[in-house]
Amino acid sequence: MGVEQTKLNGPLERHRCSRCVMDDDADPAIRFDANQVCSYCREWDDLKANHVLTADRASSECKRIVGEIREAGRGKEYDCVLGISGGVDSTYLAYMAKELGLRPLVFHFDNGWNSELAVKNIENICRRLGFHLHTHVVEWDEFRDLHLAYLKASVIDIEVPTDHAINALGMLTAARIGVRFVLTGCNFATESPLPKAWVWEKMDLLNLRAIQRRYGTKRLKTLPMLGFLKGSYYQVVKRIRFIDLLNFLPYQKDRAKTTIERVLGWRDYGGKHYESIFTRFYQGYILPTKFGVDKRKAHLSSLIRTGQMTRQEALAELSKPPYAAQLLKTDREFVLKKLGLTDERFDEIMRKPRVEHDQFPSYRKAHYRYHKQLFDLIRPVTRLLKRGAAR
Amino acid sequence: MKEYRVIPVLLVDQGRLIKTKAFSNEVYVGDPINTIKIFNDKEVDEIVVLDVTASTRGAEPDLAMIDALASECFVPLAYGGGVNTVDQARRILRLGVEKIILNTSALDRPPLIRQIGDRFGKQSVVVSIDVKKTFLGGYRVMRDRARRKTEWHPEQFAKEVESLGAGEVILTRADHEGTLQGYDVELIHRVASAVHIPVIAHGGARGMDDFVAAVRSGASAVAAGHIFVFHGPHNAVLITFPSRNELETEFFERVSDRKDDLRRSNLSA
Amino acid sequence: MIAVIDYGLGNLKAVTNMFRRIGIETCLTAEREQIEQADKLVLPGVGAFDHGIQQLRTHKLIDLLRQEVLERNKPILGICLGAQLLTRKSEEGTEEGLGFLRAECVKFRFEGEKGQLPVPHMGWSPLSVMNPGVLFANMEPPLRYYFAHSYWLKAEDETTVEAFAEYGAAFPAVIVQGRIIAAQFHPEKSHRYGMAFLKNFAERFGS
Repeated sequence: MGVEQTKLNGPLERHRCSRCVMDDDADPAIRFDANQVCSYCREWDDLKANHVLTADRASSECKRIVGEIREAGRGKEYDCVLGISGGVDSTYLAYMAKELGLRPLVFHFDNGWNSELAVKNIENICRRLGFHLHTHVVEWDEFRDLHLAYLKASVIDIEVPTDHAINALGMLTAARIGVRFVLTGCNFATESPLPKAWVWEKMDLLNLRAIQRRYGTKRLKTLPMLGFLKGSYYQVVKRIRFIDLLNFLPYQKDRAKTTIERVLGWRDYGGKHYESIFTRFYQGYILPTKFGVDKRKAHLSSLIRTGQMTRQEALAELSKPPYAAQLLKTDREFVLKKLGLTDERFDEIMRKPRVEHDQFPSYRKAHYRYHKQLFDLIRPVTRLLKRGAAR
Repeated sequence: MKEYRVIPVLLVDQGRLIKTKAFSNEVYVGDPINTIKIFNDKEVDEIVVLDVTASTRGAEPDLAMIDALASECFVPLAYGGGVNTVDQARRILRLGVEKIILNTSALDRPPLIRQIGDRFGKQSVVVSIDVKKTFLGGYRVMRDRARRKTEWHPEQFAKEVESLGAGEVILTRADHEGTLQGYDVELIHRVASAVHIPVIAHGGARGMDDFVAAVRSGASAVAAGHIFVFHGPHNAVLITFPSRNELETEFFERVSDRKDDLRRSNLSA
Repeated sequence: MIAVIDYGLGNLKAVTNMFRRIGIETCLTAEREQIEQADKLVLPGVGAFDHGIQQLRTHKLIDLLRQEVLERNKPILGICLGAQLLTRKSEEGTEEGLGFLRAECVKFRFEGEKGQLPVPHMGWSPLSVMNPGVLFANMEPPLRYYFAHSYWLKAEDETTVEAFAEYGAAFPAVIVQGRIIAAQFHPEKSHRYGMAFLKNFAERFGS
């Protein structure tokens, strides 16, 4: 029960959770209990029990938060900022924000990889909900250089720069326009605890700068960044908070999709985060091929846990290749073209063995005692910052 | 129902996509390759890419960039910027570009128009004419990113390049560009009346009303930058383009419908 | 393998780019061996008629094409100028065309002052498909393609015209005679309509 072979690593015995589809492939930290239920299911159960609210509590909590935001925003042009990517979570969030009477300034981080679908979805959100948009476009040369630095460093979480920038942009924008609330699309319904081996902390600016210093050639000038101290300042002194509003609403993915399709003309592009061509390529090709990680397992597992998919359906999904052959070819060409890499150079990078993030300076490292002590001291604050890691 | 081409204009400066107001005040817009891909996926009619600093820098057209852009563009692509020789034109066209746009060269080495046209066909040569109004209210053709005046009047120059074999003219009212004050319909009318080749209106478009006005004044096609690249009161960078349905109902069908004007003015009264 | 003939004229890479995007392998060549080994041929081209014929002659392609198309019956798709070169002659020039197609190229002329339209015809035109056949299989109308030309293809036998477009009056957009296709528009610049057309040519035509 729960023991299946994996395509990625050959005919070795693998253990797979009996409840979701997480397994020990490329994940040294996963544990199984006597019923072959994995530690991520347990972690999720625990989170649900202690942090996710019942429908009633959620509803009243939602009212309270919305009330607070509206009160604080009285007399101002906007009462909050809201990050959108064109994806289903942030689109539904925008829709609900309107329903709840909030007046957000919508922001978007443009890292040069937007698909046409994403851009169209963003346009529809702004037009149909009557929201104003702020975009920050990072200088492509600078961002490409950072991408290349991460690729050359051979670390796993190549999405850190984008995810960091989105969080930073939210906070910086809120601070700039004088509001205290950054609404994000993070939620339990579709996001799961991810294996630590698969991701790194998005807000670990030390790590980002270290990788960039080692392998990058251009200075970071236009990338929105938020260091630990600055972030703490905004959160503690300016009292700016991230609000994952979807956790206080009944969020069911299929129903949400139907609503936004109908009301906003939202278009689906299949696959989580496929609004960015790089993300599609990273999750569909780089992660499985270089790191042996199939992130679909995590996404499908969270759908199983929230009753939106059965384990059988998820396994059927997983048996399909993550990438249609022609699309992979086209995407690969496009990515390499944008990054200015030859096939040989890219294959060389793909063959390099994995390097752990903490082999570079990082907030996490023990010898940064100062940071560590500060971290321990303000754990509640850092937990909020860690939000990024759940993506 | 007659259709008219609606053409996004992308400005690049050393491989960076930018946008200007009246040819100055550069704002960074993003990576041209991704932007072209988005316009291509939106299935626009045609795309114009202008390298605005190539001539002033005395630089050769960036073939590597043009190759990358052309490979993401499955609609007609016109390139302009720093083209001085037939051989450059040949190399650029070969990469998958349909038309060469000449601006400085049309002024400084007019025989090039004929040379490119004879070799590759009239339809592959477009002359870009930048125009400003003088203090006394007359029009003059400008050069060097519209900083210096020439002695040419736009209608004269348009006739001249037509006789030299240009296939089309892109007519830009330089001081309207990026300022959302509408096209200069008087200018369009003067130039379109003087030539038989297609005239593409450019500079200042705010939306469909301006497209209709341009075509009624004689333009064969309309081009715009600002409205397809910025969105909203904060000028957020966002690539947009009207749907076919919007183009048909808000533009094509309205051109010959004079009653439509009356209806619209009644609405706003 | 489809050979896209490189005789030095036109936006050749646009054609190979589109084939690549739809997953069809091509080679861009003027080499005898590759052309002989190819399953199908594409003759692209942008430019003047005489110059086109001269270039074909310079690259020693005229006899080779005659051999491949007329004797060995290899499917060939002519695009824009390439399509025109397949005909007997053109009003644009003095050279003789390849003569594979029973057609000739005529300049756009319009009746009366009112009817004057700018020449070249440049822009998108909808197609009236007379015979969907293989080339337009699985394609939902309305179909639009990009045209850029001053001369149009006049077929001797109008029943060989698979699709018409209009500019002042109707003119042939696609002529098919045997395994020879003349397409006046630019499929490589007509996004998904072009992709569907080229895919049909590559995968279904002449099979």
